[in-house]
Amino acid sequence: MLSPQHWFQMLAHSSLGHYMQTSQWAFAVVEMVHLLALAVLGGSVLFLDLRLLGVTLRAESAAIISRDLGRLLLVSLVVMILSGIGLLSEEAMKCYYSPAFRWKMALLATAVVFYFTLHRRAAARAGIGTVSPSQRIIAVVSLLLWLGVGIAGRAIGLI
Amino acid sequence: MTQPLLQHLCQVLYDSHVGTGIRESDNAFSVIESVHVLSVTLLVGTISILDLRMLGIILREIAVTRIARSVLPLTWAGFVMMAGSGFLLFWAEAAKNYLNPAFRVKVVLLLLVGLNPLIFHTTIYRRVSEWELAHRSPWRARVAACGSLLLWSGVIIAGRAIAYF
Repeated sequence: MLSPQHWFQMLAHSSLGHYMQTSQWAFAVVEMVHLLALAVLGGSVLFLDLRLLGVTLRAESAAIISRDLGRLLLVSLVVMILSGIGLLSEEAMKCYYSPAFRWKMALLATAVVFYFTLHRRAAARAGIGTVSPSQRIIAVVSLLLWLGVGIAGRAIGLI
Repeated sequence: MTQPLLQHLCQVLYDSHVGTGIRESDNAFSVIESVHVLSVTLLVGTISILDLRMLGIILREIAVTRIARSVLPLTWAGFVMMAGSGFLLFWAEAAKNYLNPAFRVKVVLLLLVGLNPLIFHTTIYRRVSEWELAHRSPWRARVAACGSLLLWSGVIIAGRAIAYF
């Protein structure tokens, strides 16, 4: 059983890590992909939660919106995680010791678990035209969790 | 004065109190930059929902006009925040940006991405009542949607590239 530190060291010394560390443009290109997926993820999360809050498209089925935007969210999440692993391999040990990175991973795990459990269930049950208080709370928690992931992610480069 | 007028204006902005203040502050630039990234996410994330709807990829059961009405206020809010924070970043770096190839590409892409909705709203969108319920919008609307997705992606890529030149 290897400790997390070993996993990070293995990633840093992998062929992916070696490529990302030596290539002149790889980091920049992967970072751009990461940002493009961020725009799609941010848009789908925001729109989904505004529907749950009853701010937008209140007269349309929340289940349909949750199904379609949920797919968009999943695709962009997968792209973000894959490109994120690429970015991580370039500076794995710096991230391992970075409090911002640890916060980001904790918030990301929470946001993903929250989405697959309470959030999806609330969207499936949401009625048309009415908004329950629990639905509002779930939407606000979801927005705060994803915003937290973004802010912690930005902070990796700053602290 | 041998500099072109635009370059001279950039230098004046760069040397101004505000420009110098942002550039020399410990945190101002990164805080404004974070707001900028967040507003780009808001703008591009919401407009792409409308683009993907017109392409018939998501929310086909909902009329295009309903999606447009709920998405566009968010897109505009993102645009205002993006333009404001973007101008502050430019203010701090204007003289460097003027010479930066990625910045020049970004300005051209921004002009094109502004032209796209102008053409779209004065042509095919005028007859939207005829096609708003279609699961896949007419080809002109799909071209506009693809143009929007590609141009905004280009803006993000060029914007990120500014830091690498």
